[in-house]
Amino acid sequence: MENFTALFGAQADPPPPPATLGFGPGKPPPPPPPPPGGGPGAVPPPSAATAPPGADKSAAGCGPFYLMRELPGNTELTGSTNLITHYNLEHAYNKFCGKKVKEKLSNFLPDLPGMIDLPGSHDNSSLRSLIEKPPILGGSFNPITGTMLAGFRLHTGPLPEQCRLMHIQPPKKKNKHKHKQSRTQDPVPPETPSDSDHKKKKKKKEEDPERKRKKKEKKKKKNRHSPDHPSMGSSQASSSSSLR
Amino acid sequence: MAEKFDHLEEHLEKFVENIRQLGIIVSDFQPSSQAGLNQKLNFIVTGLQDIDKCRQQLHDIMVPLEVFEYIDQGRNPQLYTKECLERALAKNEQVKGKIDTMKKFKSLLIQELSKVFPEDMAKYRSIRGEEQSPS
Repeated sequence: MENFTALFGAQADPPPPPATLGFGPGKPPPPPPPPPGGGPGAVPPPSAATAPPGADKSAAGCGPFYLMRELPGNTELTGSTNLITHYNLEHAYNKFCGKKVKEKLSNFLPDLPGMIDLPGSHDNSSLRSLIEKPPILGGSFNPITGTMLAGFRLHTGPLPEQCRLMHIQPPKKKNKHKHKQSRTQDPVPPETPSDSDHKKKKKKKEEDPERKRKKKEKKKKKNRHSPDHPSMGSSQASSSSSLR
Repeated sequence: MAEKFDHLEEHLEKFVENIRQLGIIVSDFQPSSQAGLNQKLNFIVTGLQDIDKCRQQLHDIMVPLEVFEYIDQGRNPQLYTKECLERALAKNEQVKGKIDTMKKFKSLLIQELSKVFPEDMAKYRSIRGEEQSPS
């Protein structure tokens, strides 16, 4: 609502309606001012017959103000009112314009299978083509009977790769949410290779301290054998001492 | 109003789900799945019948053609609504600006005309009566 009111801030405090003036379009030239005497040859003032459509009949003979019109009513809905608030669309405005709307169609229809973000002209599935070339209608939808079902006997075996359009899904999330993805994906496949990897890692972790102990023992033995550097623990030093 | 759409949405979701399951059956077809395929095919026919029935309830719904272009381009149709609202507000502000400017011009014109043609403007005020505010 704050965004909305900020965009249309002036609406809250409209200026007071100034004086009204009802001049017409002013296309015909103004009549010459009547002579003071009002002689017989004088041009008569313009009557209602000369007034354009919309001109006020009562104002036809109002002195110099020919073509006077009735003023539009104040109740008429114009652009001076905030039409979005008038039609109670603030909620829709804040919903769609307050935050960023995601660009792709798959964000709008996340549960729809298939690659729906591609343009419809790509695979001849556009809605526009449905309007331009409407399908032949008229017949009702009848259930497929036994003899008709014979036409749907398929060959066994998997489809070729290029025909498997149903399995292609648009990427749902970016790399930013990697942790969330791994969490959500873990429970879905019960026997995924990730579990076995996890076990291997655990085994490695369990093995690690044993290896470290063995290494340490080896180092200690080597250090004992090297008389020059009894306190050195680095592998480089041990290797150098062994070379000597 | 919303019930009509919910009804259609429900049927469409069922239909899409049936199509998806049919796709799975067909993608790796086995002789034992022939009965399931036949059943799915008839589900699709009944699904189409259900959707066709919804047409009667929704004949008065108008859909802007522009929104189809968004969908055909793989874009979110809510972007159309967003852009429509933004355009409406921008136009509303423009018109309001014009009306306010014209009102200011009108009051200034009356003010200046009253200086040059005081008698005529007095007549004018008398014709307009209470509508005319003193300038």
